[in-house]
Amino acid sequence: MKDIRLRDDEKRMLQGEDGIVAQKSMEWLVEMAQIAGAEELVNLDGTGDFHSPWTTMTVHHEITFDELKALADAGGHFKIPTFANKSPFLEESPIHGWEHCNMCAKVDPACRRHDDPDAHRDFMHDEWYEVYRKLGMLQSHSCANYLVSTYPPTLGQHCSWNESSAVPYCNAVLGARTNIDGSFATCYLGKAPYYDMHVTENRRATVLVKSDRLIQSNIEWDVLGFAIGEECGLAVPCITGTAKPNTTQFCKLNAGMNTGGAVRMYHIPGSTPEARTVEEAFAGLAPKRTVVIGESELRATYEKLNYHKGNQVDMVYLGCPHLSAVDMMLLARKLEGKKVKVPLWIMTAPWLYSVARDQGYLEIYEKAGAHLFDGTCMSAMGGVPEGVHSIAVDSAKQSYYISGCYPDEQFDVFYGTQDDCIDAAITGQWRGEWR
Amino acid sequence: MSETIRIYGRTEWPGIVTAEALVSPKPLEGFTNVDPARGYTTERNHPLFKVSFVDKVLVYPSPRGSGGFMAYGRGRLPAAFIHTEGCPLSVAAAACAHIPSMTDFERDPCEVIETGDIVTVNADEGWIEVEKRG
Repeated sequence: MKDIRLRDDEKRMLQGEDGIVAQKSMEWLVEMAQIAGAEELVNLDGTGDFHSPWTTMTVHHEITFDELKALADAGGHFKIPTFANKSPFLEESPIHGWEHCNMCAKVDPACRRHDDPDAHRDFMHDEWYEVYRKLGMLQSHSCANYLVSTYPPTLGQHCSWNESSAVPYCNAVLGARTNIDGSFATCYLGKAPYYDMHVTENRRATVLVKSDRLIQSNIEWDVLGFAIGEECGLAVPCITGTAKPNTTQFCKLNAGMNTGGAVRMYHIPGSTPEARTVEEAFAGLAPKRTVVIGESELRATYEKLNYHKGNQVDMVYLGCPHLSAVDMMLLARKLEGKKVKVPLWIMTAPWLYSVARDQGYLEIYEKAGAHLFDGTCMSAMGGVPEGVHSIAVDSAKQSYYISGCYPDEQFDVFYGTQDDCIDAAITGQWRGEWR
Repeated sequence: MSETIRIYGRTEWPGIVTAEALVSPKPLEGFTNVDPARGYTTERNHPLFKVSFVDKVLVYPSPRGSGGFMAYGRGRLPAAFIHTEGCPLSVAAAACAHIPSMTDFERDPCEVIETGDIVTVNADEGWIEVEKRG
């Protein structure tokens, strides 16, 4: 492991001259940089987020509550605008809608229930967030902070985000630069290891993706994303043969690509900001390879994302990544006057819960028998409600992660369009297919 | 005598260990698709589904998926991480586990190593030595 080049201020922090929190944060950044083979740190000028309330998610460099509180009391603050990723760890309970969760917190040793008011209060870890808010954290609790932050980073800004579906939004859609490394340390110091997507050369396309089916519907973008991820791994694809994606479709593409693979940057010439043409995406160099993801590959991926023996659907989950206000408006239009037969969970970002209520969507959902939740997802909660042995989802990402919670039992996952999922919620049967 | 192959790479986390290899032909995914308490992948359709990596030299091409990949570095651990390519996901796993970890080899370790080979990882000096089984 090589030593990294540190600036004078970074050396001071490492030596403890700026206090224990800065020192421990700098130790963590230096360690990550050394593991990554980075030669230096980059000063961040964009935004950050991290999974809270803990600071690094490792036992080695965790900053204690008392240290954070002392920092906040002394007037310390995050160096960059910092948002909370999903609901507080480890329970990841919904911020709103928790009273409709018929399940225990699977990570809680005593398996206390999400719908128990006393447990819910504990799961919110308010004492930590009182400190975090004082330090400047915006308590948005979403995997899709880019939809609700009101403050997206601008082209070329260096960020530190921590959510697989969000990272390609930052890099590819906004043209800002992030690795999946958001932590207390990166946000507090406003620094991150300088490697991977912070470096211009690494953002160029290396693989050309073509499709012989025009990609234009939401599910086509979702399936294409997962297929590209599996095919491209860590490469940076340049995607051609598609219609122009809207915001919902970008979210689906990103979530799929960074689940099926580790695609954290890509180009769609004409739609993403860093390349207007295919030539520009490859910076004038030839693609290392060309990948065709056509009708047969898309169908095979769709089949892979369906993982079931029967057709009985016990519940339906929509909202991976968290739904935007427009997504919720469109969903309300589809559910108005309908009645679901099995539980239908709709997941959004906490800051949009009141929007859904004020716009009347919440009432429409509830009249249909559905429930609105926020801040978390089934996979983050570690499983599904009691008595549920099958689930229908419209997200490749959620499909692939929810089955991992049930390796020891038959657990059916149905994957399809949002309309197929709504039909399943109303009938309790799966009738979806690749069309 | 069995054949021994040495290849050089880049150290992510130092240390020296010798153990049997477990090779994943596919990228690995963490978050809910790994069970750190039992030490195996729970990813459906995966060749290593429920195959224990505990105390093995875990060899894989690359990480994929959520930041929860770092769960490979928690709970019951492999003896070492050896992977062809890396990204911030494998950085986080090495940072969690603090076990010998290497990547960026002169030859693809997934092509050199087979499950059951005995692998010495010398991440202090930046090489691995593979003793082919049989």
